[in-house]
Amino acid sequence: MLSVKGLKANVGDKEILKGLDLEIGRGEVHAIMGPNGSGKSTLAHVLSGREGYTVTGGSVTFEGQDLLDLEPEARAHLGLFLAFQYPVELPGVNNTYFLKAALNAIRKARGEPELDAVSFLRLMKEKLKVLHLDDSLLKRPVNFGFSGGEKKRNEIFQMAILEPKLAILDETDSGLDIDALRIVADGVNALRSPERSVILVTHYQRLLDYIQPDYVHVLAKGQIIRSGGKELALELEDKGYGWLGAEEAA
Amino acid sequence: MKATPGNGFAPWLPDDGPAAATGLAWFDSRRAKARAQVRDQGIPTTKHEAWRYTSLTRLLEQGFTPTAEATTPLQPRDLEPLLVPGLDAYRVVLVNGRFIPGLSDLQHLPAGVRVGGLAQILKSDPDALKDRLNGVVGESQPLFAALNTAGLDDGVVVLLERGAQLERPIELIHLSVGMDEPRVAQPRHIVVLEAGAQASLIERYVSLGEALYCTNSVLELSLGRDAVLKHQRIQTESANAFHIAGLYLSLGAGSRYQCVTVGLGAAWARTDLNVRFAGEHAECDLQGLYLAGDRQLMDFHLDVDHRLPQCSSRENFKGILYGKGRAVFDGRVYVAKDAQRTDAAMSNRNLLLSEGAEVDTKPQLEINADDVKCSHGTTVGQIEPEQLFYLRSRGLSAPLARRMLCLGFAGEILDCLTPDALRDQVAEQVGSRLELAPID
Repeated sequence: MLSVKGLKANVGDKEILKGLDLEIGRGEVHAIMGPNGSGKSTLAHVLSGREGYTVTGGSVTFEGQDLLDLEPEARAHLGLFLAFQYPVELPGVNNTYFLKAALNAIRKARGEPELDAVSFLRLMKEKLKVLHLDDSLLKRPVNFGFSGGEKKRNEIFQMAILEPKLAILDETDSGLDIDALRIVADGVNALRSPERSVILVTHYQRLLDYIQPDYVHVLAKGQIIRSGGKELALELEDKGYGWLGAEEAA
Repeated sequence: MKATPGNGFAPWLPDDGPAAATGLAWFDSRRAKARAQVRDQGIPTTKHEAWRYTSLTRLLEQGFTPTAEATTPLQPRDLEPLLVPGLDAYRVVLVNGRFIPGLSDLQHLPAGVRVGGLAQILKSDPDALKDRLNGVVGESQPLFAALNTAGLDDGVVVLLERGAQLERPIELIHLSVGMDEPRVAQPRHIVVLEAGAQASLIERYVSLGEALYCTNSVLELSLGRDAVLKHQRIQTESANAFHIAGLYLSLGAGSRYQCVTVGLGAAWARTDLNVRFAGEHAECDLQGLYLAGDRQLMDFHLDVDHRLPQCSSRENFKGILYGKGRAVFDGRVYVAKDAQRTDAAMSNRNLLLSEGAEVDTKPQLEINADDVKCSHGTTVGQIEPEQLFYLRSRGLSAPLARRMLCLGFAGEILDCLTPDALRDQVAEQVGSRLELAPID
């Protein structure tokens, strides 16, 4: 579904990703872990098409298309979703209005009929129930005045509505207390399916107690330096990232 | 008189011969005085503080002259495309500045409420207007108020007696249609709410076609003790029109006034809001939204005079500029020495969608009392790239995402519009203007 080969990317003159390889299959959950500054968020941003990054080498194909050639909205139409580390506040933009426009833009791009207001409301209510969220969320401006936890939950809610093929969760666990973390993790687990793949970008092993990954990758200095099963995360928990850095140098 | 810029605004005024006399001594003398004021003031240049950012050259070049036409061939069905779907209101229609009873609907007005044409009332009951006409504007009239006084031909009078209440809003439609030559209409409206009266007034400026014309309207409003008025102004004049509006407000003790003013149309628009507190504990809430694109000027001047203690005022104006659009916000809040416990907050925020767009914003607080709560703030910014990316990452195209953010920015003001029928129509008008807005 997603194939990243030798990806190199700069922020300004600084090379952050230095030849990164990653293969994600349908229905798989991959955790990407690594110390601060290793390039985790850069990877998430480059995949979603954020400005400010220059790709200097390598390729990314998603569902058979050259992802790097596409505008951010076209990536969303293909089924890519980024849950932001810092969700942006949109004062005055109503959550329901925004999500309906987003879902219908995606449906339209795929040649599917747009949802009318009634069907959309039904869909919203259904997803709120699955995620145990309060329907006051629907009336509020997007993320505006939300607590940190509410913002992260709203990201998961958007993911539930938009039903992406590949969701990238960029440090969704950061800044969450244990209850909020559980709610977010439950939400992600509820959305797991053989059709949907997930990339969990995280600094801590903690999230992986709640969302069991199929694969764990360690990102350091702009490259994946180690890949394994979920036991790799436990090993990292014990030993930290240092031993891998040493191994890399050796 | 031939209309050339050299003649200044004299061509705007009807002939000053004996035939122009109405026979009403007080009225004729006020007109004569106003005519003299127009002459004496000359043409303000950008050296005048009130016209610092706005030149009158473009306005003068059009060669506007008044029209004698007091009737219209329009039928009620011609109005249909101009109405707000679902708005249930008493309707007063002016065509090119003249009150047209046949297009208006004033049935079932409750007791204690009088709504009618100014020219008609001047004939049938002039005494009702003697103290009202220029009662709020006062003796020293600014140029366009003086022009209006000297050239006024009609308008609307709304009188609510003590305690009278209107369940439905009064919708005042200023319809302009193109004529043989560029014409100026100078309607004068007089709105009086006596003590405890309550009403809602919706003024809409609309046109048929993209005609070139000028509206120079003056509205004098006085609220008695504890009276409440919600006043909404939606300006969607023709793209070639010139729009000048002067609002002169006198707010009595304990009265509450809210104005939501939305400027979308006209090539050149100037709105002056003059607020004078006439009693303590009065509240004034001015909310404004303006859009300006290529060849468009939106100029708002606010003058809020806290001459008495314990009154509050809010001035909250937001603008969206695109293409080569220009806007001016000049807001002044004056607090007199004895106006203790004044509470005033003024804000002007602008969103510039293009390099060529421009706004001059000048909020001023002039405070002479020491026990007051006053603030002002102004911002000029662009759409945040992070916000745009967030929406695009959810599948929205860049133009749609920009429009959504602009509507979000405008939402605070749009949400002040009532009922929903009006809000929805204006939001749609804002949306469709943004859809056509060139963005670089």
